[in-house]
Amino acid sequence: MARYLLRRLNLFLATSFVLFIVLFIVTSHFPVEKSFALTGLHSPNAQQIEQIEKNYSLNDGQFSQFFSYLQQRLSGDLGISATSQRPVIEELASVLPASFELAAVSAMLALTLGIPLGVLASLSRHKITQHTIMAITLTGYSIPVFWLGLTLSLWFGVQLGWLPISGQLNLLYEIEPVTGFVLIDTLLSDSPYSTSAFIDALLHIILPAITLAVLPFTVVVRITRAAIITIMDQTYIKAAEARGLHTSRVVLRHALPNALIPVLKNLGLMLGPFASYAMVVEVIFAWPGVGAWLVSGIYQRDYTVIQGGVLAVALIIIFISIMIEVLYTAINPLSRKELYASN
Amino acid sequence: MPLLDIRNLTIELDTPHGRVKALERVSLTINPAEIHGLVGESGSGRSLLARAILGIPGHNWRIQADRMMWDGHNLLEMSPKQRRNLMGSEIAMIFQDPSSSLDPVIVVGDQLIEAMPENKKLHFWQRAKDQKRTAEKWLHKVGIKDTQKVMSSYAWELSEGECQKVMIAIAVANQPRLLIADEPTNSMEAKTQAQIFRLLTKLNQLHNVSILLISHELETLSIWCDQLSVMYCGQIMESGPTSEIINQPFHPYTKALLNNIPDYSGLVQHKSMMKTLPGSAPALQHLPIGCRLGPRCPEAQKKCVNQPKLCHKKNRYFACHFPYHEEPCNDDATTTS
Repeated sequence: MARYLLRRLNLFLATSFVLFIVLFIVTSHFPVEKSFALTGLHSPNAQQIEQIEKNYSLNDGQFSQFFSYLQQRLSGDLGISATSQRPVIEELASVLPASFELAAVSAMLALTLGIPLGVLASLSRHKITQHTIMAITLTGYSIPVFWLGLTLSLWFGVQLGWLPISGQLNLLYEIEPVTGFVLIDTLLSDSPYSTSAFIDALLHIILPAITLAVLPFTVVVRITRAAIITIMDQTYIKAAEARGLHTSRVVLRHALPNALIPVLKNLGLMLGPFASYAMVVEVIFAWPGVGAWLVSGIYQRDYTVIQGGVLAVALIIIFISIMIEVLYTAINPLSRKELYASN
Repeated sequence: MPLLDIRNLTIELDTPHGRVKALERVSLTINPAEIHGLVGESGSGRSLLARAILGIPGHNWRIQADRMMWDGHNLLEMSPKQRRNLMGSEIAMIFQDPSSSLDPVIVVGDQLIEAMPENKKLHFWQRAKDQKRTAEKWLHKVGIKDTQKVMSSYAWELSEGECQKVMIAIAVANQPRLLIADEPTNSMEAKTQAQIFRLLTKLNQLHNVSILLISHELETLSIWCDQLSVMYCGQIMESGPTSEIINQPFHPYTKALLNNIPDYSGLVQHKSMMKTLPGSAPALQHLPIGCRLGPRCPEAQKKCVNQPKLCHKKNRYFACHFPYHEEPCNDDATTTS
C-alpha cells in the first residue's frame, strides 16, 4: 500500500510539473510584455525592473527562465493583480473557500439524493416508475446549466421572490471570516444575529447548489441504477437471498457497497465538467468563488489572475482526482486484488 | 408424509432463441432424514431444480408444477416473504461456484455470522461474541484449521476449496431441515471430500437433516445416498433406492451410466475408446421431442417420440417405454401425451 501511495504522489508531482510547463509556455505567448504578464506590475520603476529580471532570469535562456519561474511560483509568489493591485495569492485565498463550500454542498446534495433514487429506480418493478425516473434524469443531464441557473433565479428569485439570487450572504450581516466557509463562520460567530445570518447564508446557497447539483445527481442516479441492476443478478446476491436475508438487508449490505465502486470511479471522471459547470454557476449567481474571480480576470485581461486561477483550479482537480483514485483503492477490496497482482 | 414432494415441475427459460423447456415434468420426493442423490450430466438442469426448490429463480424463468409441497404446505402458493423465511432456516443450499457466491467486498466471517441465528437466551452484548465462537466452531467442523485468518479474509483471497468449505459452513450453520448440496465437493482434494461427506452424513444421522446431494459422480453418490434420482436433459429417467438401482437398473440411461463407469482393473486395452452412449447431450435449443434420451438410446423405438410417464413399481420410479423390467408399466398403454 505504501508503494501504491508513493506512486500516486509521483503521479501528482509529474502532472503538476507538466501543468507548470504548459502555463510557462502560455505566459510567454500573452500579447503583453513578459515582465507584466509574470508580475502584474504595470509601470515598474528601474529598481523593480532589475528585481524582476533577476527573479525570473529574463536575460537568460528558456530553461533557466522556466526554473526561475517555477521557483517563484512554488515559493507562493503569483504576482499582483493588475486591477486590484493586491497579491494574487491573497485574492485566491479569499475566493477558494466559497467555491469549496458550493462544491461540497452540491456534491452532498447529488450523492444523498442520487444514490437512494438510483437504488429505488433499480428495484422498482413498475415500468412506469422506472421510465419516469430515467426520463427525468435524462432531461436533467441534457439541460444546459446556464439556462437552468437563469430560469431558476427567474422563477424562485424574481417572480416568486422566495430565494436570494446573488452573493453568498446579505450585506447586512458582518461576519468575521474564520474558516472562509460562510455556513460555518456564521455558526461560529458570537454576534447576536448569527442564527439569522446562518439561515440567510443557507437561503443564498440553495439556488446555486441545486443548479450545480443537477448534472452529478443525474449521473449518480443512472450509474447507481445500472450497477445495482447488474449486481442483483450476481450469484452472491442469490446466495445472500438463499441465506434467508431480508431484501432490504441484501440490497443495503451486499448490493450497495458493490454498486458504489463504479459510482466512485465515475465521480473522478466527472470532476472536470463539474469544475467548469461550477464556474458558470458562480458567474450566474455572483458567487464570490474562484470561478467568478477567474472569469472577471479574463474579462479585464488580468494576466496574473488568469495564471493564478488556472493554476489553482488545475492543481485542485489533479489532486482531488488522485485522491478519489486512492479512496477507490482503499474502500474497494477488489482493486487491492489487482494491486497484489501487478506489484 | 414426505418432506418435499414435487410433481411434474416444468421450468421454461426465455432465451433469445425462444422459450425452452429446461426442465420437463420433473418429479422428486424427499422423505425426512434421507440422503437423496441427484445424478446427471452438467447442463441436465440439476442446478435449476435446486434453485427452483429453494425459491431463487432467475428473471427469465417460468415455473409450472402440479404440486410442490414442503412439509404439507404448497410452496407455489406462498408469498415471497414466506419463502424467504423458509430459506436459510429450513432449506439451505450449498452453491456450485463457491467463490462467486460470496460477496467480494465483505469479509467471509461477517457473511457466515450474518447467516446464523442469534442466540436469544444471551444478553445482546454477549451475542456477537457467541456468534463468532459458533462460526469458528462450524468452520472448524468443515475442515478449516486457521479459522481466524479465514474469517478475516475476502472471498477472492481464499482458494476455491476454502470458499466451498465456507459455503458449506454457511449452509449447515442453521441446521436446516433440507440441505441442497449442489456439487459440494467438486473443487476439493479427495481427503477433504470424504471429510465433507462424513460431515453431511453425521448431520443427517444426528440432526435428521434431509440432504439433496447433486453430483455427476454416480460412484460417490452410490456410496453416500439412500435414494437416487437420475436426470438427463431436464427429465427424470429413474428414481429409487440406491442399492436396487445399482443392482438392477430399469432405465437404459441408468444402465449405460453404470456400464460406462471406467474400471481400473487394467483389462481395458491401452488407448482403446472409453465406453459411452453414441452422440452427445443435446444443446438447449435443439432438444428432441418426447423422451430426450431417444436419439442416443439403444432401446429407442417409434413410440419414444412421446414422453413416457413416470411409472411406479413398488418403491421404484422410471420413465421409459421399454424398461429392463418384465411387466410393462400399467400407465404405459394409455400414454398418448
